[in-house]
Amino acid sequence: MNIIETTGLGRRYASRWALRDCTLSLPAGRLVALIGPNGAGKSTLLNIIVGLTAPTVGEITVLDGHPAGSLAALDGIAFVAQDMPLYRNLTVGDMLHLTRNLNLSFDTAAARLRLADLGISEKQKAGKLSGGQRAQLALSLALARHPRLLVLDEPTGPLDPLARHEFMASVMTAMADEGISVVLSSHMLAELERAADHLVLVANGRIRLNGPVEDLIDSHRLITSATARSDDHAGWEVIESSSTDALTHRVVRLHDPTMDLPPGCESRSVGIEELTLAYFRNGAAAPSATLTGASR
Amino acid sequence: MTALAAAPSIALRPVPWKRLAWVTWRRYRFTLISVLGILAVLTVSLFIAGQHARTAYEALQTCHPKSAANCRYLDETFHNTYGSIGFLGTFLMLLPGILGAFAGGPLLARELETGTFRYAWTQGVGRMRWAAALVVPGAVGIAMIMVSFGAVITWREQPLIEYGATTRLDVAIFPVSGLAVAGWAMAGFALGVLAGLLWRRVLPAVATAFGVWFGLAYLAAKDLRPHYLAPLQTTSLNLSSHNFFVSQWWTKAGVRVSDSEINRILQALGADVSGNQVKVHVSSGGAPDPIRTLIQQGYTQVTSYQPVSRYWTMQWIEFGWLAAFSLVLLGATFWLLHRRTG
Repeated sequence: MNIIETTGLGRRYASRWALRDCTLSLPAGRLVALIGPNGAGKSTLLNIIVGLTAPTVGEITVLDGHPAGSLAALDGIAFVAQDMPLYRNLTVGDMLHLTRNLNLSFDTAAARLRLADLGISEKQKAGKLSGGQRAQLALSLALARHPRLLVLDEPTGPLDPLARHEFMASVMTAMADEGISVVLSSHMLAELERAADHLVLVANGRIRLNGPVEDLIDSHRLITSATARSDDHAGWEVIESSSTDALTHRVVRLHDPTMDLPPGCESRSVGIEELTLAYFRNGAAAPSATLTGASR
Repeated sequence: MTALAAAPSIALRPVPWKRLAWVTWRRYRFTLISVLGILAVLTVSLFIAGQHARTAYEALQTCHPKSAANCRYLDETFHNTYGSIGFLGTFLMLLPGILGAFAGGPLLARELETGTFRYAWTQGVGRMRWAAALVVPGAVGIAMIMVSFGAVITWREQPLIEYGATTRLDVAIFPVSGLAVAGWAMAGFALGVLAGLLWRRVLPAVATAFGVWFGLAYLAAKDLRPHYLAPLQTTSLNLSSHNFFVSQWWTKAGVRVSDSEINRILQALGADVSGNQVKVHVSSGGAPDPIRTLIQQGYTQVTSYQPVSRYWTMQWIEFGWLAAFSLVLLGATFWLLHRRTG
């Protein structure tokens, strides 16, 4: 079952396309990581998913075919926006009450318990909280709605490493306990290495790569061979290559992960970070249509 | 692609209005308290000034005979002290616009400026109900508050109206009394809300809203209000000052005579015509009155005016078009909000 389906989605601001040709089917019950450099179109895509922005072209449905931004979609999706916007002059307790009154269902007791565990007093003003506490408050408010989908836009950007780790741990716990689906955007590659189940790479407003992490790891290799023999091979697509006089290193995507490598090649698997960087360094050159087309 | 085909059939129960009322109250109670605070201070000062005017007016009325020196002194003092609206009166004329723009401007602009719209508009309630819960109580609330305050202003001006120093149709009283004041406050509020959505920043929104409001108020006072109903005409020189003067001109044998010609005749008679307006003042005795001389020569002075009896009719007209204008603005706001694509 897919939690998000988009077809040919695009969003234009004035004459610039922030996002285009975005066709995705994101599975439910997973942690989908949306990765890309700043200004790649990650926030635009997330804003369309939560109904804050309307697409210029294309279609999007969320949670069993509801149009994005419809009441049913809003009810089932909790969004933690970039920089956690909260009413700074309201207390934590007021934010709880406010969120309860803006939603059909809200688990006040659970939110109170979570905040107490985190040592966040309800009497504190939201504007006086530390970055980590703000993020945790925003997450608590979102989780207490018992959403089916949790959307997080750069949630860990402003946090220190410890707060970042705690935040991600909270997200993972909620996923395990309640089976909610998570879509998050980030440019912190390291923290996603273990957490993400599904990866969507975005650059220059286009989807570069999209698929389950295991499949992506399986199908990508770092191949080293003598520069003299570094011919192209029909069985793979070169994502990035660098050569010295003697050796050529290529990050490639294998069309068939079980294929036999040609003689004289050494191969090892690549991690998410290495893989992602290869795609981004090669961003302008890569023919995105073939990549997106092949990813499904 | 199965999910695309499975269209939802369950209608979602919306978040109750009662809960949204709490949200509105919690977020805007300080705005409400400060508006009421400002008005309370003004009410006290108007009450004190009104008491003084009333006492002075009573003394004036009970003074007999009217021609006695002390009575004329009282009359002159009353006129000099309370006859003009002064600084406070000017401020009161602008008050519906000021309060309206300050209450309406930040409503959407603050959310957009601080980014909290990303929180508010992604809650289960949806942005349309959320906005309705802010805008409707805001518009109705400010209208009701200003109607009450308009009653205080009317009470304050009562002695002056009775005395004839001003009229209920005067530009300084009409738009801040009766129902019209509610219309003007709503217009300021609606302008503020819309400007906030367009500007996405509080200060420019409030400034724009007030600027447009002021232009509209000026236009209404100068060009619209005198013509809500066809003005009456009279050739009487003793038109009661309770009425509202629209314009004056001279005719001879039923044909209108240009002002420059009248001025020429008056100058020939030795009258001072520094302004364009010829005063309707019939002096008794002394030098031959130029106006009377003109009349004797067969000229007739015509005055067009709005009788004070039309006060409520004109109030309803002014309230009506302002309410319609505000509704159009708020309708546009909701339409933009609905299709807004951040």
